[in-house]
Amino acid sequence: MPPENPKQDKEIMAAQARQVIDVFHEISTLLNADLDRQTLSICISLIENGVNPEALATVVKELRKDAEETNREAMQQGNQRQREA
Amino acid sequence: MRVGRVRHETNVSALWKTQHHHTIRNDATMSSQRQRVNQGIDRLVRRLLVELPGEDPAATHEKQSNAAEFVREVLESSRGPAVVADVNQASDLIKKRLIQTNASPEKALRFTNLYSKLLSIPAINQKWAVLYFLYQLGYHQQKTPPILTSPFKSPVKNGRESRNLDYGLPKSPEYGSQRESQPFQEAFAPEGLKRLPTREGGQKDRKEEEQVFTKTPALQRESVALKTALLAENYVEIDPPETALLRDLPFTLQGLSSTHLPFSSNSSLKLPPTLPVPIISILHTLAEPSLLYRGLSTFVQSADGGLLGQSLRAAVAGELRSYLGLVATLEGQIRRALSALDEKEPRGGIGKAGVTLKRCVVWTREATMGLRLMSLISEESKSKRGGQLISLIHGFSSSHGDPMVGAFAERLLIHVTRPFYDMLRHWIYDGELSDPYHEFFVSEQDPNAIIDAQDGKNRGGASSVWEDKYKLNEDMVPSIITQDFAQKVFLIGKSLNFIRYGCGDSQWVEEYSKAASKELRYGDTATLETWIDEAYKTTMARLIHLMAEKFHLFEHLKALKNYILLGQGDFIALLMESLSSNLDRPAGAQYRHTLTAQLEHAIRGSNAQYDSPEVLRRLDARMLQLSHGDIGWDCFTLEYKIDAPVDVVVTEWGNRQYLKVFNFLWRIKRVEFALASTWRKCMTGARGVLQGEDKNVAQAWKLTRGVLAEMIHFIGQLQYYILFEVIESSWDELQTAIHKEGCTLDDLIKAHTKYLNAITHKGLLGAKKKYHGEVDENTFMVQLGEILRLMLSYRDAVDGLYSWAVSDFTRRQGAEARTEAQGRREDDDGMLINTPATTRRGPRHLHDSTPVDGSEDSIADEFPALQERLQALGGHFRSRVCLLLGDLAYQPDVDMRFLGVVMNFNDVYQPVRKQTRRPAGKESVKSSTRA
Repeated sequence: MPPENPKQDKEIMAAQARQVIDVFHEISTLLNADLDRQTLSICISLIENGVNPEALATVVKELRKDAEETNREAMQQGNQRQREA
Repeated sequence: MRVGRVRHETNVSALWKTQHHHTIRNDATMSSQRQRVNQGIDRLVRRLLVELPGEDPAATHEKQSNAAEFVREVLESSRGPAVVADVNQASDLIKKRLIQTNASPEKALRFTNLYSKLLSIPAINQKWAVLYFLYQLGYHQQKTPPILTSPFKSPVKNGRESRNLDYGLPKSPEYGSQRESQPFQEAFAPEGLKRLPTREGGQKDRKEEEQVFTKTPALQRESVALKTALLAENYVEIDPPETALLRDLPFTLQGLSSTHLPFSSNSSLKLPPTLPVPIISILHTLAEPSLLYRGLSTFVQSADGGLLGQSLRAAVAGELRSYLGLVATLEGQIRRALSALDEKEPRGGIGKAGVTLKRCVVWTREATMGLRLMSLISEESKSKRGGQLISLIHGFSSSHGDPMVGAFAERLLIHVTRPFYDMLRHWIYDGELSDPYHEFFVSEQDPNAIIDAQDGKNRGGASSVWEDKYKLNEDMVPSIITQDFAQKVFLIGKSLNFIRYGCGDSQWVEEYSKAASKELRYGDTATLETWIDEAYKTTMARLIHLMAEKFHLFEHLKALKNYILLGQGDFIALLMESLSSNLDRPAGAQYRHTLTAQLEHAIRGSNAQYDSPEVLRRLDARMLQLSHGDIGWDCFTLEYKIDAPVDVVVTEWGNRQYLKVFNFLWRIKRVEFALASTWRKCMTGARGVLQGEDKNVAQAWKLTRGVLAEMIHFIGQLQYYILFEVIESSWDELQTAIHKEGCTLDDLIKAHTKYLNAITHKGLLGAKKKYHGEVDENTFMVQLGEILRLMLSYRDAVDGLYSWAVSDFTRRQGAEARTEAQGRREDDDGMLINTPATTRRGPRHLHDSTPVDGSEDSIADEFPALQERLQALGGHFRSRVCLLLGDLAYQPDVDMRFLGVVMNFNDVYQPVRKQTRRPAGKESVKSSTRA
């Protein structure tokens, strides 16, 4: 086989992957899942590699909650600092 | 922090060994997979964790690694999904969620599309898993609002929640299971609602709203959720509950009574008095379509009204069916929502179910508009029928500002106009009026009504098939057709009908209708117009062809001109010559057979014999109605008989005009003839009998000849004018008019009427004059009649003079002869008796001359009387002519002024302009009426 073919296959694969991510992204918008494209693609690749989707969902939720808390703390700290100043 | 609880011992390889999706793997792929998972987890943690500003990188790193550990632990601990690995199930779950949380099926539809697209892409193996993952995440978002609103929880809530259970629906297993609910969702979700035409506009709006909604940031969404939650908190319980009302609603919308919403009468809906005002107002809005539907369904079932009324009912019934379709969809939605209701939620969970009374109001809004419009139309249609009905609906579709109303009316119009176009087709292709309910804009006239109408129009005579059989009803012409167009359509049908019945050519009509018949329908006005134009041209061409070829219309017109308008000079001259002696006798002594015999003679003796027998057959001579004291000249008339189809052009009225012109011309001709014969007599007499010694008599003769010459000039000019300036020029115009391209029968009739009018007007027969506002009809007619009468009296006087002159001549000759005879006798006497002549002649002469003297005296007495009479008549004639010239000089018509100039070319007359004039003697009035 000439070396061009795998290259072409790869291109096709990449295009298909992009398409898949597009579709999933749209579905996630429909479902209000609040995922951006990069996070989504990471999650898809994780699931492709056999990660349990339910567990992954829980993890994502947990991580988001953490981020929220961190944000709130940061905000409070910022406010305190402003008051102190 | 939860990350702190993470266990540090992880057994990743054990985790991967248990996975059952990828059965055969070697170590290399397993390690690469593990690597990829680890990388993925790291990246995920990095994306999701927020870096706090001012925190040192070591702490951040620490946090990230902690988080990653936690993630690994969680992922490892739960292997195998809770649901069976089935792509369809994940998609079902999502679809169900979408339908429940969204008002419209739009999102579910979009998801279905995306899903099918997804299935077609082979790039990914774990589609179901990703979908399930997304489903879980989405679910997580749904759960957030109650958590957020928890600080605002009111103490009332718990009590109410327990109360809600009382009203909660028993969950029927039929609607409870997600498997079975799927066909329902599919039935009405994407296509079912799409089919309802009235809702298209609204759906678009909703879609836009959604797009806006999806674009809003999460923060805003949270605030909306907060509001919803607040609303749910402050919700007041109503009786009967909204769920019960919702269950009753489909019945109400179909116009059926239900437990909570009974119809108290045909046009009123009873609302439960226990409801709060806002709910009542919502129910009012929902009651409108219900009541309108009831009204319309009774309207649809009523049977009166013509074809168009029935088609309107059919169209309305169609619209009602689609309304019922909407109601059915609504009912399905309501049932499904009620079955999926979670009683523990606030407001009986109705806020989540997606179907509320308010939603129903929104969904039925456009349908209500349609129903409203239809009930308006059905109200108005009671007093209208046929074309007016179409105009009414067309008015909505063309001049209503709301595009939705316009589109709706347009759709109705397609159905409603069907019988109209059917009639139209029958009319323009078959020439038949199939209109049992008198709805078409052409109507067949009642023969009695025609007679009544004609009394008013003063057209008289028998009804004309062409003019009176059908009538165009201006107010029945629907506004989808212009007046011009309607006129054309009317003409086409009338012509076809005329061809069939008037001209007896139904075969052609049938062939034509077979060849040309087309299906007409509303909407394509341009094509329709071209078709109708085509039909118009074909029909008109055929009709003219028939008229010209089969019924010899043009030949008849020519014959009328030749015989009735005295165009054929030799024929008329011969006829007059042969009839003159006959016509001098009283009218009672005229016999038809002599007249027809003379007519035949005149035809044989002139060029008329070469005319076609078709024409000659129609020529007839007869006497008009006699009145006492008339002589043959007054009553004689030529007639040209016109029969069935052609009398459409040469109408009864036209015939009378022709006769009028003929009588006038015939009188002129007669005067001319009389004057010519007298002139001839005088001329021949002047060389013989009229030569006398008497200067007085010679002078009288000279004057008489002068006046005669004047009269002959007058008559000559008048005849020339009428025949050449009037008839020939009008004929020329008629010829150009009727041989024009695309000439229709109506044009023909019009041209012919114009032709006759021109002749009668310019021919001094119909000119009307006004003096001081009074209409003095036929002034020229009266004047000319008077002048002609004067001429005839003058001729009689001249004849009297002539006979006097002849008798004078004979007397003189007799006297001479007597003297000669006496001389001879004397000679004889002398010879016999031999006495001296002078002695014997005197007493004898005296004796003999006594009677002669007496006769001489009487003749001598007669001469001055004759002379006086001639002078009087001559003077009268002159003054009349001056008057006529005065009138002619002020005519607006150039040709008539020209006549005045020709008659008075050397200014021998002084035209008199008279301001007031009454009709002259009785006799002339009589003659004019007879003419």
